[in-house]
Amino acid sequence: MQRDFLDPKVLSRLAGLPLDARIPMLGSVSGRHRSPIRGSSLEFAEYRKYVPGDDTRRLDWRAWGRSDRFYIKEFEADTNLRMALIVDTSGSMGFGPGGAKDPEVSKLDYAKSLAGTLAYLASKQGDAVGLYCADEKFTKEIPAKRSAAHLKFVMDELSAAEAGGETGLANALHEAAEKVSQRALVVVISDLFIQPEELKSCFQHLRFRKHDVAVFHLLEQSEIDFNFDRPIRFVDLEGGNSLLADPSLVSKQYRKAVELYMEELSGVIRDTGIDYQRVSIEENYGEVLARFLLGRAK
Amino acid sequence: MFSWFPTFLQANMLWALPLIALPILIHLINQHRHRTMHWGAMMFLLQAKRMTKGMAKLKHFLILLMRTLAIAGLIFAIARPLASGWLALTAGGAADTTVIILDRSASMESQDLQTGESKRSTAVRKVADVLKSVGRNTKVVLIENTKNKAIEVEEVGSLLELPETGPSATTSDLPTMMQTALDYINANETGRTDVWVCSDLRENDWDAEGGRWEGLRSGFSEKDAVRFYLLTYPAVATGNVSVAVSNVYRRQLGNDAELVMDLKLRRESENSEPVNVPVQFVINGARSEKTFTMTDKEYERLGLTIKIDAQTLEGHGRVELSNDTNPLDNVYHFVFAEPPVHKTVIVSDDEESANLLKLAAGVPAIATLDYNAEVLSSQRADEVAWNETALVLWHAPLPDGLVAKQLENFVQSGRTVIFFPPPVADDKTLFGASWGAWEESDGETPISITAWNTQADLFSNTQSGEALPVGDLKTFKYCSLDGEVSRLAQLDGGKPLLARAPTNSGSAYFFSTLPKLEYSNLSTNHVLFYIMVQRALASGAGALGTARQMDAGTVGMEDLSRWKAADESIDVMISQRAFQPGAWQSPENRLLALNRPIKEDTAGVMSEGKLKEIFGTLDYTQISDEVSDSSSLVNEIWRAFLIIMILALVIEALLCLPERRVVSEAEAA
Repeated sequence: MQRDFLDPKVLSRLAGLPLDARIPMLGSVSGRHRSPIRGSSLEFAEYRKYVPGDDTRRLDWRAWGRSDRFYIKEFEADTNLRMALIVDTSGSMGFGPGGAKDPEVSKLDYAKSLAGTLAYLASKQGDAVGLYCADEKFTKEIPAKRSAAHLKFVMDELSAAEAGGETGLANALHEAAEKVSQRALVVVISDLFIQPEELKSCFQHLRFRKHDVAVFHLLEQSEIDFNFDRPIRFVDLEGGNSLLADPSLVSKQYRKAVELYMEELSGVIRDTGIDYQRVSIEENYGEVLARFLLGRAK
Repeated sequence: MFSWFPTFLQANMLWALPLIALPILIHLINQHRHRTMHWGAMMFLLQAKRMTKGMAKLKHFLILLMRTLAIAGLIFAIARPLASGWLALTAGGAADTTVIILDRSASMESQDLQTGESKRSTAVRKVADVLKSVGRNTKVVLIENTKNKAIEVEEVGSLLELPETGPSATTSDLPTMMQTALDYINANETGRTDVWVCSDLRENDWDAEGGRWEGLRSGFSEKDAVRFYLLTYPAVATGNVSVAVSNVYRRQLGNDAELVMDLKLRRESENSEPVNVPVQFVINGARSEKTFTMTDKEYERLGLTIKIDAQTLEGHGRVELSNDTNPLDNVYHFVFAEPPVHKTVIVSDDEESANLLKLAAGVPAIATLDYNAEVLSSQRADEVAWNETALVLWHAPLPDGLVAKQLENFVQSGRTVIFFPPPVADDKTLFGASWGAWEESDGETPISITAWNTQADLFSNTQSGEALPVGDLKTFKYCSLDGEVSRLAQLDGGKPLLARAPTNSGSAYFFSTLPKLEYSNLSTNHVLFYIMVQRALASGAGALGTARQMDAGTVGMEDLSRWKAADESIDVMISQRAFQPGAWQSPENRLLALNRPIKEDTAGVMSEGKLKEIFGTLDYTQISDEVSDSSSLVNEIWRAFLIIMILALVIEALLCLPERRVVSEAEAA
């Protein structure tokens, strides 16, 4: 299986950057991420009063000497991270520069690069990686695991993903919120062509389930600018319906609609506190990921 | 009647007008030749489509409209439009024939002092410009008031140089000129005809009440392809002063002599501020000046005397005013000599009629002149002193033989005869006319007068423009008249009451009733009867004396061809002498002064309502112009269309400008 969506140069460049969670994670093994429960790492967390039943080995005798009271010294627990990559594979993700049916680089290709690189980085630092591909519903569901063989499996499935079908991202996100049982870093890679209100509900659901949510909002520049001059018959990538439009007539309104959507989306991001990255697929995805990783670094 | 649409010099270019649909066609083709693109962000596109209403569509429509307008502007500009909407020539280009009816009356000489152009010259120039612009292939026919004949003009550019379009001191008779135009149109089957009437709308010229318009309306209404353009100059120049003299004669006072005259000044002014008017008198070359103070619109000085050399028994002269808007009414010529006896001979076998005629002819109209009336029976007609008689009132069967010949010579020499019907008609003919049978009115109802010529001859209006009480005349019996005569007054039913036979000089009238009570109320309508006879007498006496004063246009041209100007300052073409003011001297040393008719000074301007009434339902357009308006009646306005085109293109460009995008905060982020 080809891995042409992965660029070794990008991988080597990003290898030095950690993928950190913004909230404590509940992992199965020791790792580099904070855990909500106290553990035995070297990093001091807090003092607490001794209660009967506590392990007396953890009493801080120096504190007893100073205050004549018993205190238990607690340390942070480090654990691994579960990352669930949710990749939108609906028809609109097949769009690329120029609007060709089979573009050189589609949004899905770009999403694959992002998802593949993140999976590689997470796996490299010992985190579990899962993959969920969704159009109208989940077409692929690979729960997070942390083996090298699993990473290969994830990469294969990612490589095999194709754009098609209508967007069912909202349902997929709700479903993912329930299916990913423990706290995880949920990375959503999509063009988000659904109403911001629906997105808000999805993100709130994910946050309620204590997931760390990161969103890569992929857009092609022409979808924002709408810089066309002559009348065009626009064929819907998600249904085949077509619409004849004169850009000189509708471009202003189109841009206004995009602007409105972006404003509403900003509100949703603000309200739900998700990690949002708006990405133009003309950008180098290495730069995008570098920005993302640096933004999350502790 | 009014068409706002311009005329085009290159009307063929209008065939390109369908090209204005080009932008729409291109738009439709463009719509049809769309490309197909697979698109993901349909939710924005659908939203944009829903929002694309109102202004955006209007803007798009405006862009198309501007493009269409730009092409239309270009085509119209190339077609060379003329700013002459009222010409209404678009229906099929210029007319086949254009008849110009030109009022050359004295009042048309009112000028713009800055340009020196008169109403007449302005009108001729503007009509010539129109014809040069839009009527290159039209046949141009000129009818002017002095000759009242249709003159075909070869070259429109020469209109202004023609003697027939120059100034004249005459009065106009618009109904007669219109009749000439109608006759020409009928005779020549002129096809589409434009009739341009150039006039200052003076009431005396148009004779709106004269009863001849009904027939003209009826005649023209049968011509579908005749349109009238009335190029009118109704404005009256305020401050214009006119001068005239009348009853000029020489008076001997012991060893001295003086000229006696009645001076009349008239000014066009609404206020009554006193104005001093200096008047110069030039008598046999000697100049003197007197100043008169006018406190009203009119000033009349009767019996004004000017000293002259006691040895001067006859001569010529003129009164002059300083220059103002109408130069033609600033000069008035006069001639003087020993006045002739105003002798009338009444040839009648009816004593009652003869006495009534003698009474009317014998009472002096001017107290200082000698009047004499003599009655002769028809058997003694050969005893008439033809050389001493000014007027013959012939109430007897028409003569034949020697007497008829003598009567013809009498009229030929410029004097006047009025024929009254004999008791019994015969088949004799004189001056081309003969009496027919007597007719009577039905019962008690008299026959009234339906129309008469108020412009000229015995029933014309007074010098102040007032009509004679001809309408009050009732006729109970009249004699029908046969022959080629001009009707000057006609009875209800169309029969002539007063007619004039065609003569080269002098006047031969036929009056178809008698002054007796059982025939008409002429004897009780004293004013009309007296004026009719006295006018005929004055006309005849004018030819009898050596000095004669006449209105320009009322004397035959042939008479003046041998005459020389008494006043050496006068330089007029022979063909125009009869229509210009001046003093003339015949080889036989007879003197003649020609002047504008006084009613040219006094006539008011006809109202718009009256004009509408005259033309009725005829297809006419009035263009009220002014002498000071130097603009042409037709202007090429292709520049305006080019400007429209440029404006349309600029607006289109502005509408097509891409809007500056405001980057939203979210987008910037």
